[in-house]
Amino acid sequence: MAQLRLQGTKVLAATLGGGGDTVKAKNGSMVAYDGEMTFKKLSGGGDGVRGMVTRRLTGEQMTVMEVKGQGTCYFADRASDINLVRLAGEKLHVEASNLLCTDGGLRTGTTFTGLRGASQGNGLFTTSVEGTGWAAVMSDGPAVLLRVTRDTPLQVDPGAYVAHQGDLRRSFQSGVNFRTFMGEGSGESFQVRFEGDGVVYVQPSERNTLGGDV
Amino acid sequence: MPFRELSGKLVEAQVVPGQRLFSQRGAMVGYRGEVTFTPNVQGGQGGLMSMIGRRVAGEATPLMTVEGNGTVMFGHGGHHVEVINLDGDTLCVEADRLLAFDGSLQQGTLFLGRDGGVMGMVRGQVSGQGLFTTTLTGRGSVAVMAHGGILQLPLTPGHPVHVDPQAYVAHFGDVRNKLSSALGWRDMVGRGSGEAFQLELNGSGAVFVQASEEKL
Amino acid sequence: MTSQTPHGSVPQGYQVFDAATLPANDNVNPYAFSVDLDGQWFLQKGKMIAYYGQIDFQGIGHGRLDGLVAGSFHSPLHAADWVVAEGRGKLLLADRAFDINSFDLEDGNLTVRSGNLLAFDPALTLKQSIIPGFLTLIGTGKFVAASNGEVHFVEPPVRVDPQALVGWADCPSPCHHYDHQYMRGVLGGMRAVTGLGGASGEEHQFEFVGAGTVLIQSTETLLADRSTGQVPQQAGVPGDGGSGGAGGPGGQQLPQLPGQLGGLQRRFGL
Repeated sequence: MAQLRLQGTKVLAATLGGGGDTVKAKNGSMVAYDGEMTFKKLSGGGDGVRGMVTRRLTGEQMTVMEVKGQGTCYFADRASDINLVRLAGEKLHVEASNLLCTDGGLRTGTTFTGLRGASQGNGLFTTSVEGTGWAAVMSDGPAVLLRVTRDTPLQVDPGAYVAHQGDLRRSFQSGVNFRTFMGEGSGESFQVRFEGDGVVYVQPSERNTLGGDV
Repeated sequence: MPFRELSGKLVEAQVVPGQRLFSQRGAMVGYRGEVTFTPNVQGGQGGLMSMIGRRVAGEATPLMTVEGNGTVMFGHGGHHVEVINLDGDTLCVEADRLLAFDGSLQQGTLFLGRDGGVMGMVRGQVSGQGLFTTTLTGRGSVAVMAHGGILQLPLTPGHPVHVDPQAYVAHFGDVRNKLSSALGWRDMVGRGSGEAFQLELNGSGAVFVQASEEKL
Repeated sequence: MTSQTPHGSVPQGYQVFDAATLPANDNVNPYAFSVDLDGQWFLQKGKMIAYYGQIDFQGIGHGRLDGLVAGSFHSPLHAADWVVAEGRGKLLLADRAFDINSFDLEDGNLTVRSGNLLAFDPALTLKQSIIPGFLTLIGTGKFVAASNGEVHFVEPPVRVDPQALVGWADCPSPCHHYDHQYMRGVLGGMRAVTGLGGASGEEHQFEFVGAGTVLIQSTETLLADRSTGQVPQQAGVPGDGGSGGAGGPGGQQLPQLPGQLGGLQRRFGL
């Protein structure tokens, strides 16, 4: 199995031992490597019809490459901070553009969050990662992990949402009592509400949205 | 004279009479004392021919001379700043990544296109960088900018390191470099993994890589 | 040191916060700030990343808040960019992964670049500074500001690049400093004749003298800001007269009324 570790907070080092060791990484995120590596583009967005739809809708946003070889490969993307999670059978949901790298043995798929996100250009696709192995999630600035319990639901700005795990229900909540003077929305007019039991990752930034920098 | 790192993005330098400093234009953030900032008409040392050479090489990064008596803070564009101390070595760095450096360091330009010809051209095209890079030789400090943090990878003979040309920042030591193409044509036309070209560095020394594929 | 949660592992070295363990009016990490809200706070739009509890956000100008706004918010140019958060809960603030600092004023005053100010306690009063693009906070209370890189505190006398200036406290006389030696010197003349050489980019600084503190960031225009009054060519550089593109033509800028596009307008340069 590939070994992933952090080199500082913004560079991920993946050590591959040859043989069948592979990692899947965001297209073009390799910054350096030593040893022998080969890079092969995969179609992103998971398998099946859903994956096909995702690919069509997101264009090249989610393309993934498979890295195979022997040595150490370094990944980084636009100076984003990297959060390394070791999964032991559980499922992690990640905003599609925030997934940097996963162990080749992890299963990835895509969930549709609903069309409410479409107008905002984000919250549309979430990649689910499941299995045993390392996953590296990016955030603009170090992520803040927030627990959701039955008594304490959480509201998150869609642009700051990075990932979540656990038994959570998501709903879109709009116009939290927005009665502005002349009808202008006031920036936080639309939030994602998490209810249930789990952990939500947010980033200290609202830039990184799937739809681009709006 | 060394730079003092105030934070990951700011450095402070002492300026004393008789010793000058070069910095990128507009990189001064604040200063105390009597310090003057003069644009370099020559574009560094070496007179007019050198300047023309630099313009041709696309290395006409505007520098300014910093002289006087006081302390100056440098920072630029919110980029991460890394101080590299040279002890007689030669540092090879893209000029637009230079934030500030000791005036005592010998400047030069290096033709990176060792293979010359088409591949050399391609390298310049791919990385969007000139075929020339700036070299700094001697004893002194250099403050280099990078997008995100800097990763230093040691180079030992026989163990080449491959670097994404966009993420390459600088290197020093006895290093040979060449551009390698990792993929066949099929991969390069539209379906590539985004890692079509790699800068291969071989020798002894170190290479600095930034945590981003974005050029400054 | 992977800590376990009921739902599996979390990234190494991370702590999971909940509504109770989030800090009260303190930084969660260098880039995120947690406000323990019980009442009202002013915040710049789009800087809230998450919250627990019952919190309403209202645009400034809404009738019910007239009294609050009259007492604490004296910047019509910025009204469309600010909201009032009202209720009880924990509110997380962040701005493009920039460093976030909170400052406590005690019967004091601090002037800060408008784009850097994220939020403030209504116990403070906000006014427009006479230096374009800056806002002054007066009174006793807490406010939160962002900076590109850590804020560096410097005592006068010091000269600062206008773009790198975050703000200043208690300095009696911020003024302009021009490098006349350069302007008049041999190089200046040569530049005038040949156009060669250009400017060093450092002919003009803000100069601070006297007792006080000056706040400096790693620089530049990454934090979009709204100039008040005349719109300079460069952030914080007065006297250029031209339009910065964002604020309207000819150095004239109308007050930003509630109901205009505000942040979006600025973002798209309308």
